[in-house]
Amino acid sequence: MQWFDALIQGVLLGGMYAQYALGMALMFGVMKIVNVSHGDLVILLSLVGISLAASLGLGPFTVMAALVPLAVGLGWLLQRTILNRVVGDDPLPSLIATFGLSLALQNLMMQIWSANSRSLPGGGIESRSIQIGGIYIGLLPVIVLVFAIALTWGLDMMLKRTRFGRALRAAASDVEAASMTGINPRTVYASATAIAVGILGFAAVFQSLRSTVAPADGGAQLIYAFEAVIIGGMGSVWGAFLGAMVLGVAQAVGFRIDPGLGVLAGHIVFLLVLATRPQGLFGRA
Amino acid sequence: MTFVSMMPPQVQIRRQTASGRIALALFVLAVIGLAAMPWWAKTGTIRMVLELCCYVAVAQMWNLLAGYAGLVSVGQQAFIGAAGYALFVLAQTFGVNPFLAVFLSLLVPLVLAVPCYLLLHRLDGPYFAIGTWVVAEVFRLVASNLSWVNAGAGMSLSVMKDYSAFQRNIAMSLFCALLILVSIGGSYRFLRSRFGLALIAMRDNPVAAASQGVNVRRLRFMIYVAAAVGCGLVGAVYFMAQLRINPPSAFDSMWSNIAIFIVMVGGIASIEGVLIGTLIYFVADRYFGEYGASYFVVLGVMTVLVALYARTGIWGMISARWDAPWFPIRRHLVLERNKP
Repeated sequence: MQWFDALIQGVLLGGMYAQYALGMALMFGVMKIVNVSHGDLVILLSLVGISLAASLGLGPFTVMAALVPLAVGLGWLLQRTILNRVVGDDPLPSLIATFGLSLALQNLMMQIWSANSRSLPGGGIESRSIQIGGIYIGLLPVIVLVFAIALTWGLDMMLKRTRFGRALRAAASDVEAASMTGINPRTVYASATAIAVGILGFAAVFQSLRSTVAPADGGAQLIYAFEAVIIGGMGSVWGAFLGAMVLGVAQAVGFRIDPGLGVLAGHIVFLLVLATRPQGLFGRA
Repeated sequence: MTFVSMMPPQVQIRRQTASGRIALALFVLAVIGLAAMPWWAKTGTIRMVLELCCYVAVAQMWNLLAGYAGLVSVGQQAFIGAAGYALFVLAQTFGVNPFLAVFLSLLVPLVLAVPCYLLLHRLDGPYFAIGTWVVAEVFRLVASNLSWVNAGAGMSLSVMKDYSAFQRNIAMSLFCALLILVSIGGSYRFLRSRFGLALIAMRDNPVAAASQGVNVRRLRFMIYVAAAVGCGLVGAVYFMAQLRINPPSAFDSMWSNIAIFIVMVGGIASIEGVLIGTLIYFVADRYFGEYGASYFVVLGVMTVLVALYARTGIWGMISARWDAPWFPIRRHLVLERNKP
């Protein structure tokens, strides 16, 4: 029963990680770049949300309605001002630029919000739970998982069915051929990053409701997103989603064995996948 | 029957330049000066110089990885901490002479780097970088959970009490000289060798280099292991001087921040850039370090600006204007007139 409980909690935790991982999978898939400041953006949006809620007295879902458009704008701006200049075959410029951005963002947040941990008051939903057959399931983690599934499904449908999704996939597979057919890669890239960071707007609200956030936490979120993408297998959004589930379960089971082992168990599963199935559990070889 | 005599043209390969000779003389003087520090510097100065030498060495290792081998790492602190811990375990737990233990502890990053690389090289360019960070986190978490390295509480190097302050100063000074000699001198020698030629070919275009017979995979592996050992030496020396080690300090990502800042601002893929970058970082740290977070905001923004607008860094701008390398690695072909 204890292990079944760990499995359930792990899947719910995976719902949180999936929301970080989707954006990373999308950006890598389209532009072959990794935004090192991915996790710091989650923290920045969380802290902005917490300040908004505190000063205007907004509820968590009103904060979400404000944060998501803000996140989309932030992503667009990030692509237009920084990332469009560093996209290319050489991975170094994009890594260094976003690495510097991460360092600057982290310390800027430290200046504005101090190093303290904060959280978003959820008006009670964060502590409500449902009991099913002796297992308590938090209402909030279930909402997080439902949002994660909806976001993954929505992103997948958008990529498969819409005109914009086709443009994204075309730019991902061959940017020069895509631009010959009338696609403007810069606009496509900016939209991809806007979506990727926009999803972080949801993640930011849930992260700050579920637990606390502090300016230095961004690195861990980046690593979890990355591990989920690699475990699941690069190239598909459902892969990233399932990778997040595996990572969540690994951490929850590790945490049951010993509280010091939770995060480490996730890393070890990641390294095992890398050793035995480098294309990812759900990726095609 | 007629013979066409094809006299090969009289050529000479010139590899050293006037600026290079001056720099080499200064380099030798600097290494001697570092080794002789106990006779001209106070303990505080020696410790400061030691820190500076550690920055130079870590930055040069990162430069070899990112600038030449195309392996961007943000996790070299894994090997810094691993060797630091190895030193403490050898010297404190097993009673090995600490100065000898510095060298023995290099075996740990050497052995650990091999499986790390075999796993990480499967990751694509930018993912490789995050992968190295995960490895560093794994090392930190393992150290935080291992009871025989005293878990999260860390260890102290109290055996250093057996040595007088002067003896410790001599050791620190010799290690400073060694760090510079190995990281800068060693890299320079390496870059001038046939491996260096292969490495530069690989830096310019890995595919073309492979077609010319350069074993790109083996060379990358060699550089990764060498950089791990180099960072290990920094870790062992740095934490020997610190006398304390714990998981957050041993596996601090600050090392990566500093190495990246130094190399990118100074000028990637050049030894001169590392020296310039270290000097800038060190001066900035002395004067602005007290401003804490806002100082790091400036460092971060500078790194972004360099990546966007000046990828070759300061040395790139200087060498575009004046062709006077301090550590020349190019080969100039000098044609000689045929003498009658």
